[in-house]
Amino acid sequence: MGMSETASILKAVGNLNKARIIAHLSKHRGETAEDLAKHLGYPLPTVYKYLRELEVAKMVESETKERKVKRYYPRDFKLEISPEKLMELFEQPSALNLYKAKSGDNDAKRLNEVISKAKSGRMTYRQAASTLGISYYEFILLLEEIDAADE
Amino acid sequence: MSRKLVLDSSVIINLDRRGILTKYLNQKRDEGYELLVPRAIAEEILDDPKQYAEEIKETSPELAEKILVSVERMKTAINNDLIKVEQVNYKKYSRILSNTKKHLSKLEAKPEHAVKKGDPELITLVIQLYDKHREKITVASKDKGLLNTLKFFSKKVEYEVLRDV
Repeated sequence: MGMSETASILKAVGNLNKARIIAHLSKHRGETAEDLAKHLGYPLPTVYKYLRELEVAKMVESETKERKVKRYYPRDFKLEISPEKLMELFEQPSALNLYKAKSGDNDAKRLNEVISKAKSGRMTYRQAASTLGISYYEFILLLEEIDAADE
Repeated sequence: MSRKLVLDSSVIINLDRRGILTKYLNQKRDEGYELLVPRAIAEEILDDPKQYAEEIKETSPELAEKILVSVERMKTAINNDLIKVEQVNYKKYSRILSNTKKHLSKLEAKPEHAVKKGDPELITLVIQLYDKHREKITVASKDKGLLNTLKFFSKKVEYEVLRDV
């Protein structure tokens, strides 16, 4: 699990109301926002807000079926916490670590190939950024960090 | 008349991260250069980093903060006219812009609209400035691929690449 994902889960379950929504959905799968508001006693706009955040954190998913009613389901997740994990989480990561956390190890290999092409002039930096699906600025940061590590 | 120096984002970002952007810009101005960037590059050095800082601010607030401070410095350089934003004449140079995009999209195997605007605009600006002033244009970029593409498209243009960055 990437650090940003750990942070999202921690943030979500750190809020007891959101944690309660997940717990409730585990038992009552497919409830609507209105059902949740009624059963848990939270204001409906708050429930919508929490559900949106939980969906972004990939802890809850929804499907819209009959009469365009959106039903919510908990997603499977596991959170392991240790002092080391927390240390990693709060350590200031470099652009390279952030990229790896976001893209995974396979993309890190691809990054090296693309950077090598850009450095040799076989593609422009902007083409390289576009190939990697990142902004030009992020690409320059990655290039600088890789260059510094090589020196 | 001042000599024209067209700056690429790669140089501006790198100089700023090394903490010597303002010093470099002042030095070049004292040497008689007018420092120019096309609009796409101004947007790239101001908007791209802001967006990136926004993306990482939760996981890496210190890096995000540093980036935002850097954006402010680059913005100040533009606001104080140390770097001048020069508009590319899209109408007059539409063919060059289009051909450059085509060329880059072929290399990249991507549709033309997916080509980032900075490369075609920088190349076109060099050609536009030469057409207007008929004097050698200076370009500062750390991007070999961009310089190769510039070479390909500016055969009738006199330009030199600044290597002191």
